[in-house]
Amino acid sequence: MSDQPTERVPRLNRRKFLQAAGLAGTGVAIVGSGVGDIRRAEAGGSVGHLPGSYADKIVPTLCEMCVWRCGVRAKVIDGVIEKLEGNPDHPHSEGYLCARGQAGLMMTYDEDRVLEPLMRVGERGSGRFRKVSWDEALDYVADKMLKIKENFGPEAMVFSSTHNLSQPLFENLLYGYGSPNYGTQRSLCFNAMVTAHLLTYGIEEPARRYEGMNYIILTGRNLFGGISTSETRALMQRIAEGAHVVYLDPRFSETAAKAAEWLPIKPGTDSAFILALIHVMIRDELYDKWFVSQYTVGFDELAEGVQDYTPAWAARITEIPEATIYRIAHEFAENRPNAFAHPGWRTSNFINSFHTERAIAILNALQGLCPQQGDCMFLSEASVELGKPPQPGYPPIRAARLDGVPWKYKFVPPKLGVFQELRDAILSGEPYQAHGWFIARQNPMMSLPERQKTRAAFQKLGLVVVMDIIMNDSAWYADVVLPEASYLERYDPLHPVGRRVFLRQPVIEPRGQSRSALWIYKQLGERLGLGDYFQYEDEEDYLRQQLKPWTERLGITLDQLKQTGYFEVPDGYEGPTYRWDTPSGKVELASETLRNAGYDAIPRWYDPPEPGENEFYLLTGKVGQHTQFATQNNAYLHEVRPTNQLWMHPSKAAERGIANGDRVRVTSPAGSVEIEVWLTEGIRPDCVYLTPGFGHESRGLRKAFGRGAADSDLHLTFTDPISGGQALTQTFVTVEKV
Amino acid sequence: MADIKKYGFVIDPRRCIDCRACLVACRAEWNTPPGQTRIWVHTDGPQGIFPAVTQTWVPVQCHHCEDPWCVDACPTGATFKREDGLVLIDEEACIGCGLCVNACPYQVRFRNEVTGKADKCNACFHRVDRGELPACVATCIGGARLFGDFNDPESPVSRAIKDQVVYRPITPEVDTGPMTYYLSPPDASAVQVSPQPRKDLPAEVFWRKWAIPIVKVAVGATFLGQAGAFILQLLRGENEYEDGAV
Repeated sequence: MSDQPTERVPRLNRRKFLQAAGLAGTGVAIVGSGVGDIRRAEAGGSVGHLPGSYADKIVPTLCEMCVWRCGVRAKVIDGVIEKLEGNPDHPHSEGYLCARGQAGLMMTYDEDRVLEPLMRVGERGSGRFRKVSWDEALDYVADKMLKIKENFGPEAMVFSSTHNLSQPLFENLLYGYGSPNYGTQRSLCFNAMVTAHLLTYGIEEPARRYEGMNYIILTGRNLFGGISTSETRALMQRIAEGAHVVYLDPRFSETAAKAAEWLPIKPGTDSAFILALIHVMIRDELYDKWFVSQYTVGFDELAEGVQDYTPAWAARITEIPEATIYRIAHEFAENRPNAFAHPGWRTSNFINSFHTERAIAILNALQGLCPQQGDCMFLSEASVELGKPPQPGYPPIRAARLDGVPWKYKFVPPKLGVFQELRDAILSGEPYQAHGWFIARQNPMMSLPERQKTRAAFQKLGLVVVMDIIMNDSAWYADVVLPEASYLERYDPLHPVGRRVFLRQPVIEPRGQSRSALWIYKQLGERLGLGDYFQYEDEEDYLRQQLKPWTERLGITLDQLKQTGYFEVPDGYEGPTYRWDTPSGKVELASETLRNAGYDAIPRWYDPPEPGENEFYLLTGKVGQHTQFATQNNAYLHEVRPTNQLWMHPSKAAERGIANGDRVRVTSPAGSVEIEVWLTEGIRPDCVYLTPGFGHESRGLRKAFGRGAADSDLHLTFTDPISGGQALTQTFVTVEKV
Repeated sequence: MADIKKYGFVIDPRRCIDCRACLVACRAEWNTPPGQTRIWVHTDGPQGIFPAVTQTWVPVQCHHCEDPWCVDACPTGATFKREDGLVLIDEEACIGCGLCVNACPYQVRFRNEVTGKADKCNACFHRVDRGELPACVATCIGGARLFGDFNDPESPVSRAIKDQVVYRPITPEVDTGPMTYYLSPPDASAVQVSPQPRKDLPAEVFWRKWAIPIVKVAVGATFLGQAGAFILQLLRGENEYEDGAV
């Protein structure tokens, strides 16, 4: 053992540290480490290193590294954000943050931040811009938008944005302007899950409950790679307590590693597996008869429709043994009510994905997971209603949407849309030509399939405006780049969760000339003559108007909220609880709505296309260190996940003379990319896998540029006819050594 | 007695999902230089043949050993063990000689590229002293990293190992009393859980038995740094002479 004096404390030779630590005068300090980091350098280089968790002040706010919106406590020293911690008061974080949440401050301090409005001076894609004032940028954009409206009508202007808290103001901008063309990224993500649950339960996003669950079927929902902090924690807790998790995925993901059973199902055949479970539950009378008789419609038609979907049949299709399917159906039912099938999240895999999702929704209904209305585990939670500034109605829309909603995609909610169709319509000019595109916090150049088509679509437009915090790939091709403040520098509208209402607030002043979306939309709206849709003085005024009903009822003020980060309303004050919003008022096992539209009333098996002899399924999926296409330039995340590799099974690599770490060429009918290969036993031999988000071509992202390859160079565009979802796993590729 | 803490870690690899929140939290807390890290998540894998595949991730950090060789190797006393068990570094006293880096059988130490000083996990003692958890533990989503006082039977670590089979990263040759208890075998091949005997053992024995007491007697605290460096150079020469491989 050491013979050092026991009361010793390590020393750091920085006076500032001692003050911050409250240790000054005790003659002690601590080991320092890296200095020269951008955040210190930009703070004047004088702070030196302090452990991040010491703070002059702690500001409660909300994360925006993904859409889960965890609560954050941001620690600040001398006006510099030093560390983020999970907020224990927020039900989505429960005191924890994932890698992305921990790295959030490096979005704010990214050395590639766009800090002034920019206008393009070179060719599109040349990356040559000049810095301009906000007035010049906004005047230019407004002038162009008004001209487009005058010459081609408001529908010639396309607006797209990713789901976020300022969305209501974004919608005011687009609907106030008069355009129907609203793009989101939902069709690349969860259209199938949402449309299926709307048509079955009348709810968009079914809630998930883990407490007490002993048996959980995950159909490709990789909760340990695609992380939603509280839900990921809940699943791990159940596994640690012995819950049996059945996980279907052609790839051995992080969740596969923790599941009791990993079933490497053949891609595109999930619906056959679920339909066989339904078959067994009905045939062997394992379903909840009381619930089915009380609260569902269409059972007889369902029973008849799944007669042929036996485990033996499904085994041939899915390559999962018949006995396994039979056993899982029985175990699932035996564990009722503590067993459920996860509804999934990104369910854009094949053009039959809608049927997979309908089958899952129905499987859970047979399980009787909603013993009574109001106590259904799949009901979305009621949330607190807020005030908002007055505004006029929207002008009538005079043209059909370019993305085919609803004239081609009847069941796709307008706020989801069919993004890939929107791009194709810009390119084709059918049914009419778009002339401008306003893109907020989105990177369609990376996210949409067939990047070359997206590039070509941009060239058809007279105006491309991108609002973002960095020079993403879409901004690289834009005419005007509007610098938004990062989520740690701005206010956004309030976020109700259950009986609590949370605040996102600036932890520090916005860097450079960056501004909040609330400010940018209002400024642009006023220049477009839409001031009536933005009746607030500034961000704080907007929030006060949102808070007004609760200021009147409970005396809640914005100043209070800034301190606490949230307020909670007492029982009984929350909005109405949910009721099944289907035409029958019941859970629709067979859907008349679908039948009347000419579709199957019950889910059916449709053969997806299969790869040819030398081809592979190209799988996609998440990693826990990045969100979509937005975080690859984050210094901290870049360190822990700098690039992507092509996963490949060793047997198929050997046939092609490919060794681990070799460069390979991956080719699809859409294009080809070069990338390093990683050989693993953790993937079906007929599949390869590529993590999306890499292969950036914007030179304005100095860390991410040129790292790895983009699957959007390979993906073909296929659309599920019912949900509008892009079929991301339906592209087949060949692989050869370079 | 009840007031004396005995801090350490309990790691449950079964609960690690390789999300790397711990790595980023540590990086943000300490601002370690890019490419240098105080903690790791290791894996050998996946293991097996498709479809019978398994994979485990093993979180690792300094084990804050009960018998820390790094402390013995330090010529200036900059590395020391606190009464509560944490092995810490006093930056002002560290001369950056790197002997502790070589001495650690787990290779959890490194020389910080920016400061030139010895660096490693210090269990975020400044947080611990405020009653908080180390940054990595505080944000571990899977619940794989636990930290606490083994002298307190109600602490998370005491409760986690109660009536459990535990695994310690030791070998018949190397047992420095690591204060990390694993709840499943830490079977990654990484050196941080597979301690290596020191190659330069004769010289180290000399250090431990003779040189360090001489340093301590001969050098006053004020001139510790310079004197340490001077003696270090003398001894380095001898080390080279003995095994020719330093």
